[in-house]
Amino acid sequence: MKALPPFNHFPRPLGEWLKGQGPESDIVVSTRVRLARNIKAWPFTLRSSTQQREELLLAVFEALNAIGLDQSVVRLRLNEVPEVYRDVLVERHLISRELASAEGPRAVVFGRGEMLSIMINEEDHLRLQWIKSGFDVDRAFRALVKVDHALERRLPYAVSPKYGYLTACPTNVGTGIRVSVMVHLPALTLKDHVQKVFKAAEKMNHAIRGLYGEGTRAFGDFYQVSNQATLGRSEEEIVESVKAILPKILEYERRMRGQLFSDERPMVEDRIFRALATLKNARMLNVQEMMSHLSLVRLGISLGIINDISLATVNEIFILGQPSHLQREEGREMTPAERDAKRAELVRTRLAAGRN
Amino acid sequence: MICDCCKKNEAKVQVCDVEQNAVVQQFAICNDCMTLLKRLLFDPATPLIPTSEAVKQVQDMLSSKDKSLTPVEAPGKLTVSDRQPEAVPACPSCGMTLAEFKQRGRFGCAHDYEVFASHIDPLLERIHDVTPPQHRGRLPQGEADESVTGKARELAALRNQLDDAVLAEDYERAAKLRDRIAALAGEVKSKPGKARREGP
Ligand SMILES: [Zn+2]
Ligand SMILES: [Zn+2]
Repeated sequence: MKALPPFNHFPRPLGEWLKGQGPESDIVVSTRVRLARNIKAWPFTLRSSTQQREELLLAVFEALNAIGLDQSVVRLRLNEVPEVYRDVLVERHLISRELASAEGPRAVVFGRGEMLSIMINEEDHLRLQWIKSGFDVDRAFRALVKVDHALERRLPYAVSPKYGYLTACPTNVGTGIRVSVMVHLPALTLKDHVQKVFKAAEKMNHAIRGLYGEGTRAFGDFYQVSNQATLGRSEEEIVESVKAILPKILEYERRMRGQLFSDERPMVEDRIFRALATLKNARMLNVQEMMSHLSLVRLGISLGIINDISLATVNEIFILGQPSHLQREEGREMTPAERDAKRAELVRTRLAAGRN
Repeated sequence: MICDCCKKNEAKVQVCDVEQNAVVQQFAICNDCMTLLKRLLFDPATPLIPTSEAVKQVQDMLSSKDKSLTPVEAPGKLTVSDRQPEAVPACPSCGMTLAEFKQRGRFGCAHDYEVFASHIDPLLERIHDVTPPQHRGRLPQGEADESVTGKARELAALRNQLDDAVLAEDYERAAKLRDRIAALAGEVKSKPGKARREGP
């Protein structure tokens, strides 16, 4: 299998959002705020020639230099990054799958803590995002708005008084803001109540979807709650609406965790410890297995059943055990079977080292 | 003067190629052929080509008798009933049509919102659950700061002016802007990347 060139662009082993800290971190992994922006002088990416995309990259880089985002950030032209490393960036939530697989001049710029990330020449010219660990919408929003305001003084954005910030897709027009909260809902999943949460969220104009895997069953029981509408409301109203719906979901998940703990404790403990035993002993693990077992271990930590493993360790394994991260670690391309063996090894060593 | 493209109608517009500030070739074009020519000259989705090349392509189109490309018939011949009732003009800036937008679900440029306003308002009402669709968030405060200079900034300004010129059908100005962008962008492209030291 092909050897890979080194890829050492991450100042830290993993981003801040995996710390397992911040408000409500027993359920909320991270909060992400994203802004979609286009620059007036160029057609949207769909209609931009290679030449125009190149011009736009240059314009954005100049603007970023002007606001001091030069030495302090990592800047990668994605057409110069091998596919497996573009997938590493996807696994770290720094770029979208669409940007990874797109063609032509495009780039990502991200901060050292991997909180700020700017995608250039995605579907929109700019996708600015800020990720924080835990449930921390206000802080993520304020931090991102600062970058946006600095940039708008250098780059004339495409806007209209009627439609606000103009975006390639009509679902993002207006504020261009998407607030997404990544939640871990193992108890609601075990008790088969996730569908109810989906319906309730939809009624309140919010979307909830599984983060990994297809359909309603999400690997690892991770879900993303986000605002649906971006037009006709102010940014603050949208932020507040997400802040308002989250406590209801958190309360529901906690109630289910409480019920599991009081009514079905032997069953729950059995499942959690079997999952932990598998992770500690398996010699081959595929991604789905790893994620569903880790999900139970994470629940065990939150319930106080497991005391010697930190949330941060579990969060980290979730990312480091993804296929492209494993190949980066190994420095070469690997077959699925090789990856499963490598993944099992990683999980065993991390769990042993991550005891606190 | 007779049009250089169709060799039939009376020419109304002069277009030319400029090289190092000197006119190298000049063409007289009629209004019908100009609509075809501007598609080739100012289509943002295709690479820039010299005017002479574009004129040649229009001549080829006309001689190939491709019906979809022939200039519009004389106004008297087209009656209202001949038109499709739902026909919406394509975006003059990026060429996006309503049909293509419906198929892709994405716009081609910022102008599309105005071009298709009557069609997208009901869509926006549905997506965002708001009637009428009216932005209520913030907008950029004031104009972008002009104190920053640089090639990219100049390119952006020229692209904006080119877009304005095409929309205003000021082709003479558009042609000049196009040449300036080509010259400036040429520099951008040929600029070598940072030298990277490889291992021994
Ligand atoms: Zn003619
Ligand atoms: Zn357009």
